[in-house]
Amino acid sequence: MNVIEIKNLTKTYGNARGIENVSFHVEEGEIFGFIGPNGAGKSTTLRTLLSIIYPTSGSATVFGKDSVQSASEIKKDIGYLPSEVFYYDRMRVKDLLNYSASFYKKDCRKRIQELAEIMDLDLSKRIDDLSYGNRKKVGIVQGLLHKPKLIILDEPTGGLDPLMQQKFFDLLKEENKKGTTILFSSHILSEVQKMCDRVAIIKEGKIIKVEKISTLKESNHKKIKVETKVPVDVDFFDADGVTNLEATNNTISFLFSGNINLIMRKLSEIELSNVWVDEPDLEEIFLHYYEKEV
Amino acid sequence: MNIVLRELMSSRKSLIWWSVGLLAMITGGMSKYGGMQSSGQSANDLFAAMPKSLQAIFGVSTLDISTALGYYGLIFSYLLLMAAIYAVMLGANSIAKEERDKTSEFLMAKPVSRSRIITSKLAAAIILLFLFNLITFLLSAMMVNYYDSGAEITSKIAALVGGMFLLQLIFLAIGTSIAAVSKRPKLATSIATGILLLTYILSIAVELSSKLENLKYIIPFKYFEAKYILAGDGFDAVFVILSVVIVVVLINATYILYQKRDLNI
Repeated sequence: MNVIEIKNLTKTYGNARGIENVSFHVEEGEIFGFIGPNGAGKSTTLRTLLSIIYPTSGSATVFGKDSVQSASEIKKDIGYLPSEVFYYDRMRVKDLLNYSASFYKKDCRKRIQELAEIMDLDLSKRIDDLSYGNRKKVGIVQGLLHKPKLIILDEPTGGLDPLMQQKFFDLLKEENKKGTTILFSSHILSEVQKMCDRVAIIKEGKIIKVEKISTLKESNHKKIKVETKVPVDVDFFDADGVTNLEATNNTISFLFSGNINLIMRKLSEIELSNVWVDEPDLEEIFLHYYEKEV
Repeated sequence: MNIVLRELMSSRKSLIWWSVGLLAMITGGMSKYGGMQSSGQSANDLFAAMPKSLQAIFGVSTLDISTALGYYGLIFSYLLLMAAIYAVMLGANSIAKEERDKTSEFLMAKPVSRSRIITSKLAAAIILLFLFNLITFLLSAMMVNYYDSGAEITSKIAALVGGMFLLQLIFLAIGTSIAAVSKRPKLATSIATGILLLTYILSIAVELSSKLENLKYIIPFKYFEAKYILAGDGFDAVFVILSVVIVVVLINATYILYQKRDLNI
């Protein structure tokens, strides 16, 4: 079953670009990464999903129900952590969490205690006195206290120190093992690589790829570097499947995905002095999506 | 229910400060009456000597301010202004503050519909208005009765405060509907207060020029004027119906407009 199904979702703000024809789905029980540079439309997509803003066209369903028509119903089982956490200033952490819990018809007291302990959060502090990182922790506990079936995270790690990030990721993985679906939006590649099963890449409001992380990593992407005896025209390598083409003096490097025999045949046509073939890391694959004009 | 409580908690401080203002206005105003009375000066003569425009600004007109109740009627026009400002700000703020303080993203992720949010906020606002009126009534009845007692006085003050409550409901609805439609939460309160001041200035203009007489239908301040209520005329049915219609229309508009709009984050 698909927990989230987004179909041709478009949101425009007057003339300004929001998102355009965004489509992807998130399966039950998976950790789905949503990655793209700042301002690409990640938050816009998530906010539309929560009907904080409404789609210009297209639709989204969560748990099989329309995200606009059944908004308050589906939110019973969603835990959301916004990228920037703002809370009612004069409240104590405890009061804020109890207020949050009061929206769900469940007893969340025990879970609040557990989560506060894991995240090392002082419940008696006033929210105005908290640092950015500690506010983020309040956000995490607030998003998880009602044991949601779907967790939506928008840039969740900002402000958390590495130890806390690790604890938070462990917590998410634990929830995921219990069957919780997670939609994880981020611009930090390494954390997505660490956490997610599949990933959607968004750029300038459009989805440019939805892929398994494992496929992305393996997908016969090869990082090839050659050194030639005599200078060779760079355009010689500009073939299908070649990206990130760079040349300095007699050294040429590029990423290649596709039939490996084709590129080997091409290489055999020139006089080489050296050759390196490596597995690229994810970052290099992503960078190419980030930079390339669509 | 949880949102209602949250609203009441966050508004209690401001209600306390407004109550201090009411206390100062009512006791301060009525003690001037006491001073005037003891010096044997006739306030009626004093105001009668003023040009009509000044009388209008002071809100004297046909009030007999030599009596405690009549003098209270003079103060009451200022109480009305205070009450209206409180109501319009309460209405605009209660809707706009979630966006202004950026807590709308928190609230909208909860399993609660937008119309339930509005219902809760209106319920809290009406409770606060009721308290505001109760405090006004108690302070007024106490102070006026101190100078001049009588069963009639208390019932007339009750009628005045009843009119004030209706006026507040109108301005509350003006505030909520503006905040519901305004995409810029910081602007909502300013616009709402602006509308209030405009109608207040118009209400003085109407007092000055009989040509503007018909404008009174669009000026809530003219609906329940002290001079008519104190003269024993009671509420004018036309204005009561008009108030109810305005409140119902604007509250409906609040629900519909807030439902449709993208929230600002």
